[in-house]
Amino acid sequence: MSPGRLVAQLSNPVVTDALVVSLKTSAIAQALVLLLGTPAAYLLATRRFPGRSLAIVLVELPLALPPAVAGIGLLAAFGRLGLLGGTLNALGVRLGLTQVAVVLAVAFVAGPFYLRQAIAAFETVDPDVVGASRTLGAGRGRTFFRVVLPLARSGLAAGEALAFARGLGEFGATIMFAGSLQGVTQTLPLAIYTEFDENFTAALAMSAVLVVVSAALLVALRLTLQWQPSRPTSRLLFAPSR
Amino acid sequence: MRRTAVAVALLLAVAASAAGAALGGRSSQPKLTVFAAASLTDVFPKIAPRDRYSFGGSNALATQIEQGLPADVFASANTKIPWQLHRMHLVTRPVNFTANKLCIIVAKGNPLHIRANRTLERSGLRIVMAAAGVPAGDYTRTVLAKLGMSDLVDKAISQETDVREVLSKVVLGEADVGFVYATDAKTVAGQVGVVGLPERAQPTVVYAAAAVKASPHLKEAEAWIRQLLGGKAQRELRAAGFRPVPH
Repeated sequence: MSPGRLVAQLSNPVVTDALVVSLKTSAIAQALVLLLGTPAAYLLATRRFPGRSLAIVLVELPLALPPAVAGIGLLAAFGRLGLLGGTLNALGVRLGLTQVAVVLAVAFVAGPFYLRQAIAAFETVDPDVVGASRTLGAGRGRTFFRVVLPLARSGLAAGEALAFARGLGEFGATIMFAGSLQGVTQTLPLAIYTEFDENFTAALAMSAVLVVVSAALLVALRLTLQWQPSRPTSRLLFAPSR
Repeated sequence: MRRTAVAVALLLAVAASAAGAALGGRSSQPKLTVFAAASLTDVFPKIAPRDRYSFGGSNALATQIEQGLPADVFASANTKIPWQLHRMHLVTRPVNFTANKLCIIVAKGNPLHIRANRTLERSGLRIVMAAAGVPAGDYTRTVLAKLGMSDLVDKAISQETDVREVLSKVVLGEADVGFVYATDAKTVAGQVGVVGLPERAQPTVVYAAAAVKASPHLKEAEAWIRQLLGGKAQRELRAAGFRPVPH
């Protein structure tokens, strides 16, 4: 099992198709997670409202669920016989066994990893700094993008790295809800499972790809965190000491 | 303090001997690990409820055995895979123990009026089948070739890793048409519609079992397989819709 044989597998269409499907669906899913998850996390971190604890439990629930249960959950919600099935069917939309289903499965399973870290990251942002920004005239939006986000950046990046890695490796929910079709829904983990009895070398090559990608992610994250060390914001330079 | 120590020692001794007796009693009939085709999921535990089962695509199970995962018995939905393992000296001589037929399953009541003919080529029809290499997948390709519709293989929207996954996709309404064994359709009778295949298109579906040579319970594994040919096992298989091995 030489590295040469593994590298040769990169010209195998099963491998390249799986790589494309994985990267494409991951990118879309993570974009969804970031776009929807960041404001949600900020709200959950900074606002106190009745039902907040319940909302946080619901958000973290997929973390505790085995992926197979997540798959059943997605079918129960979006499947043709599921809760929203009738409505979706009436609109002519079928989600099961499509590439959209892969995106949903990845977002559902990986999202909570980002959300949990993001909530924690936003909670470490000193509200006094935010308050100072507002009293100095910056609006809510400007404060969020210019003050809050940079301060929470390392926590958010760590959360997203975790979510991306988790999403890339997603198998159970995907295979149940999206099925497996080369070039459409067959992600790297699904392709590994299908190929390991037909072409073990291909399966090994794809596993190597996943390991390399995950390692690269962690290295990149380490480096980013070293360049921008998170400073404690609880002690301000211009506010009176407590 | 000394009395407590003696009491604890006595308790442990009693517990140990009781456990030893219990284990000794059980070790005369070990629990076997059976790797079996997904279509045997319901019937095998009826034949031998005490043993441990791992059900899945026969090809995936075979690879696990090749890679050294512990199994005592291997039961495949075809004869090809056990004979491959036999040539690799991993299992004993395979024994044919039952047979099956393929069929098409559709939504209950067959609302799309599917038949085993050109109706399958209707555009937009959501077809699922098992992947190539999985026995059910290979049989499906044989059926489609005999019907002159091999192009449907590329039109499938999912190539599943075992036949029960094909079944569930149709039961859940995610797919319109699925190719499964007649015995699988029987397990969800009433939830799906069944479309029979013409006899000329039916492949020869024979199941074979073999004992894994690396098993620590080789004798018991071979006895387990012999039991599959016995009266009780054959009655259970027949009741589930399996057929006698063709001669």
